Amino acid sequence: MNGEGERPIRLTVNGESVAWNGDATVPLADVLRDGQGLTGTKIGCRTGECGACTVLLDGRPVVSCLVPVASAQDQRIETVEGLASNADFQALARSMEQHGGVQCGFCTPGIMVALWAWLQDPERFGGDVRSALKNNLCRCTGYLGMMRAAEQVAAQRGETR
Amino acid sequence: MTEKLTGSRSPLDLQSKLEGRTRYLHDLNLPGQLVGAIFRSPYPHARIVRLDVSRAREVPGVAAVITADDVPHHPYGPTKYKDWNILAKDRVLFIGDEIAAVAAESREAAAKAIAAIEAEFEPLPGVFDPEEAMTAGAPTIHEETPNNRPMHIRLQRGDVEAAKREAAVVKGGRYRSNRIYQGHLEPVGAMASWSDEEGLTIWAPSHIPYRARETYAAGFGLPEDRVRIIVPPIGGSFGAKYVLKVHVIAAALAMAARRPVKIILDRYEDMITAHPRVPLTFDIEIGTDREGRFLYKDLAVYADAGARVYWSPNVIATACTRPDNIYHFRNVRAEGHLCYTNNSPTTCMRGFGNAEMLFAVESVIDEIALELGMDPAELRLKNIVHEGETTIHGYRLDTCKLEQCIEQVKILSGWDRRGQLPPNRGLGLAVANHVSGFRAIDPRFDGSTAVARLKADGRVEIETGEIELGQGMSLTYARIAGQTLGIPETAITVKSGDTGRYPFGIGTLASRSTVMGGNAVRKAAESLARAIAGLAAEALGKEAVFQAGNVVCEGRTYPLSEVSAWYRARQAGEELEVKETYVPDTELPDATYYGHPSPNYPFAAHVAEVEVDPETGRTQVIGYWAVHDSGTIIHETMAKGQVLGAVAQGIGWVTMEDLLVKDGRVLNPSMMDYRMPGVKDIPEIEVKFIEGADPNGPLGAKSIGEVALDPVPGAIANAIAHATGVRGYELPLSAERVWRALHPE
Ligand code: FES
Ligand code: FES
Repeated sequence: MNGEGERPIRLTVNGESVAWNGDATVPLADVLRDGQGLTGTKIGCRTGECGACTVLLDGRPVVSCLVPVASAQDQRIETVEGLASNADFQALARSMEQHGGVQCGFCTPGIMVALWAWLQDPERFGGDVRSALKNNLCRCTGYLGMMRAAEQVAAQRGETR
Repeated sequence: MTEKLTGSRSPLDLQSKLEGRTRYLHDLNLPGQLVGAIFRSPYPHARIVRLDVSRAREVPGVAAVITADDVPHHPYGPTKYKDWNILAKDRVLFIGDEIAAVAAESREAAAKAIAAIEAEFEPLPGVFDPEEAMTAGAPTIHEETPNNRPMHIRLQRGDVEAAKREAAVVKGGRYRSNRIYQGHLEPVGAMASWSDEEGLTIWAPSHIPYRARETYAAGFGLPEDRVRIIVPPIGGSFGAKYVLKVHVIAAALAMAARRPVKIILDRYEDMITAHPRVPLTFDIEIGTDREGRFLYKDLAVYADAGARVYWSPNVIATACTRPDNIYHFRNVRAEGHLCYTNNSPTTCMRGFGNAEMLFAVESVIDEIALELGMDPAELRLKNIVHEGETTIHGYRLDTCKLEQCIEQVKILSGWDRRGQLPPNRGLGLAVANHVSGFRAIDPRFDGSTAVARLKADGRVEIETGEIELGQGMSLTYARIAGQTLGIPETAITVKSGDTGRYPFGIGTLASRSTVMGGNAVRKAAESLARAIAGLAAEALGKEAVFQAGNVVCEGRTYPLSEVSAWYRARQAGEELEVKETYVPDTELPDATYYGHPSPNYPFAAHVAEVEVDPETGRTQVIGYWAVHDSGTIIHETMAKGQVLGAVAQGIGWVTMEDLLVKDGRVLNPSMMDYRMPGVKDIPEIEVKFIEGADPNGPLGAKSIGEVALDPVPGAIANAIAHATGVRGYELPLSAERVWRALHPE
C-alpha cells in the first residue's frame, strides 16, 4: 500500500482525471477493472501473452496486465469503453459483425483496441493489419474475419478522404 | 444512447461484445463476496497422511476453510460413472486433485491461507499410460474398478476375419492423437451463493447447465430444485466448460461461509489442472480389393480417461463408430478400452472422438491410394456413402452431399496440380461427417424446448434451453423465429442460460444447437403465429389473418403491440406465450451401437496445402479449402465463422499444440510454452457451402460447429505426407517430429 501522506497516482482515463490510492505496482488492468469499473478490459493470462487486456497508452497499444499503474501516470489511457463512442470505432464494429470478426467476444475488446489503433496510423504497424494483431490471441474466429473487417474500414476511409 | 438501451437485442448481442459491455463471470460481483482458492495435490497418486488447516483458519481475512470432513460424500459425476468427490478424503489421484479450499476477503488472504495449510503425503506408485493401467500389477485407482478399465467396447458388423482373407491391399498401423488444451480465452471459474430460502445458486459458464444442476445436486445430496445454475456469457469453451469441480468447490465454500464466493483460476492454474482433449491410441487396419473397394476396417482404441470420468466414455464410443458412417467399409470391428490413469481427467473438445479417429482413418486411406497408385479423391469417391442410404451402424441419410463436396473442393483447391507441385509442397484431402445432436447424450430423452412470448411493446422473446457460446445461436434463432413470424429479427430477443427461468435443455454439445434448439424455436414461432391469429379473430369478432408481422382484418392492419394489448386486457396483464418441444425421430443406439442417433448428418471435404521446410521440419499451411454440406445455411457469416475458427484450431492442433504431461505433471502450463495459432499462422481459407434443405432441419439446416474441425487433422497430415513422402503417425506433426521422420538415422 501507499504509505500515509503519499500522494495518489493521477491517471487520465478516457479523458477523465482519476486518482488511485492503492499500491503503485498493481497492474493497470486491475486498476481499470476494479477501481474504475471498466470491465471491457479483459484478463486472459496476466502474463502478456493473450492481448485481451490491450488498452492505449498515449495512442500506443499495450497489454495493461504488465503495466504497473504508476508507470501510466501522466499518459493518456484509453480503454475500449472510451473508444466506443468514436465514429470510426462504430464503423469497425459494424464491419466486424458483417465479417464474422467476433464470436465469444472475450478477446474482442483487446482486438478492437488494437485494430482501432491500426486504423489511426497503419504505418506505425508497417501498414499490415496482421502486424497490428500479432500480440492478440483469438481462439474462436481464426482471425480472417477481423482482418477483412479492418481492411474494409481502411479502404472506405481511403475513398472518403 | 436511448436507441441502444431500448433496442438492444439480448445480453449476448455482438454489439455489446464489440464495445466491451458484455459482462462475463470475471466482471460480475455480489455484495459481501469472498475470493475462493483451492489446495491441490502435488502428487499424482498419494495417501494423505496428515492434513492440518488450523493455521489457515487463523489467517486474517479468512472466512472459511473446508476439507473432506466438511463436505458430503455422495457418489456423483456427470455420466453414469459416479467417481467424483467434492474434496479428497484419504487418497489423491492426480496432480491438482482438490484436497481443501478457502474463502477469504482478498486474493492475498486466500493465497496466504492456502500456503498455511499443512499436509503430509505418502506417495504411491502411479500409472500414466492406459495400456499399462490394464496390466496385472498396475496400481488400482478406484477400488470399484480393479482393472482400471471403467468402459470396454466391443462391436462387430459383418465378418472382419473373412474379409481379411480376401483383401488385396492392407494398410494401417498405430496412430496417436494428443492432449489438446481447449484454449478458451476466458479462464475457468465460478461464483456461488447459498441462502436457506433459495438454496444454491451457481454462476457457472457451462454449456450443459441442466446436467450440471443434476450432477451438483447429487453431489450435495440436495433436491434438484434447490440448485440453480445461471450461465453468464461464455468466453470460449470448445468443450472445456461442461461440468467442473471448480463450480462444486465454489458452491461448497459458499455454503460453509454463508457468503457468496467467486473462484477464477489464473491461467497457470487453469493449465496445470486442465482437463484436455482425451488422448487416443489407435491400432487400425483397412483392407481393400485390387480396385480399391473397401472390404473391412479393424480397430482397437485406447483412451486415457485420467483419474476420473468426465466425458471420455462418449469420446471413445464416438471414435469406435462415427467414421464408419462415411465410408462403406462393409465389415467393421472395434474394441475400445477406456482406462483410468493418474493423469488429470480428460474430457471433450470440439469434434470429440471423430476428428482424431478421422486423422487415423484418412491417413490410412491415403496410404492405400499410394499403394494402389490411385488418386486419393478417386479412392474416396469410390467408397463414400450417399443420400438415401442407411449406414452400417443405422444412420439414415435423408440428405448427403459429400460427393459434391469432394468434387467442389477439388475444383477450388486446384487438385489437379497435385502431381506437379514444387518440391516440399503437398496437397492433402480429408472428409468428415458429424451429427446434429446425439441421441445417447441423455439416454432418457432427446429434443429441445422453446418458449415464444409476445411482449407488450410488440417485440417477441424466445427462451431456449440451449446455450450461446459465441457460435451464433442467438442470431440463428432470431432468424428462424423472424422468418417464421414474418417480423424483423431485430424485433426478437433470445434468452437462455438460467435453469431457474428458462426451459430445460439437454446441453449444447454434440452440435445440437442449430437443429435441436432451432426446431423447437421454429415450432414455438409457428405456434405463436397461430395463437395470434386466434386471438385476433376473438378480439375483432371477424375473420383475421396474421401476415408479415401484422394482423390484417378487412383491409385494416393491427401491429403486434396492439395485439399484445388485446391479450393482456383479457388475461390480467399476462403476456401471450407458447411453449413447444421438438422431439426428434431419433433412435437410441442399442447395445451393439446400432441406431439412428441424430435428426440429420452434416458432411465436409477439406483440402490443405502445406510447405514443409526440410531443414527444420516446420510446416506452414499455405492454403486451405473447406466445402460443407450443412443443409440450408441460416446465418452465413456465423456459419462461415465456425469453419474458419475450426480450421485455425486444427492448424494449431496438427502443427504446434501439445499439452505435455510427464508422470502426471503438465510441463508447459503457459500460453508462451503452449503455443496456439496467432494471426500469422493462418493462411487464406476458402469456405463454400453446398446448400440444400434437409427435411429434418429448421429451415432445412444441419449442424456445422464440429464437422468443421473433424477433417482438418487428416487433411493437413495428408498434405505433409504428400510434401515429404513420409507418413506421420502421431499428433502433433511438430517441426521436431517431421524432421525426425525425414532423418530416421
Ligand atoms: S491478460 Fe494481459 S496479455 Fe493476457
Ligand atoms: S471471439 Fe472468442 S476468443 Fe476471439
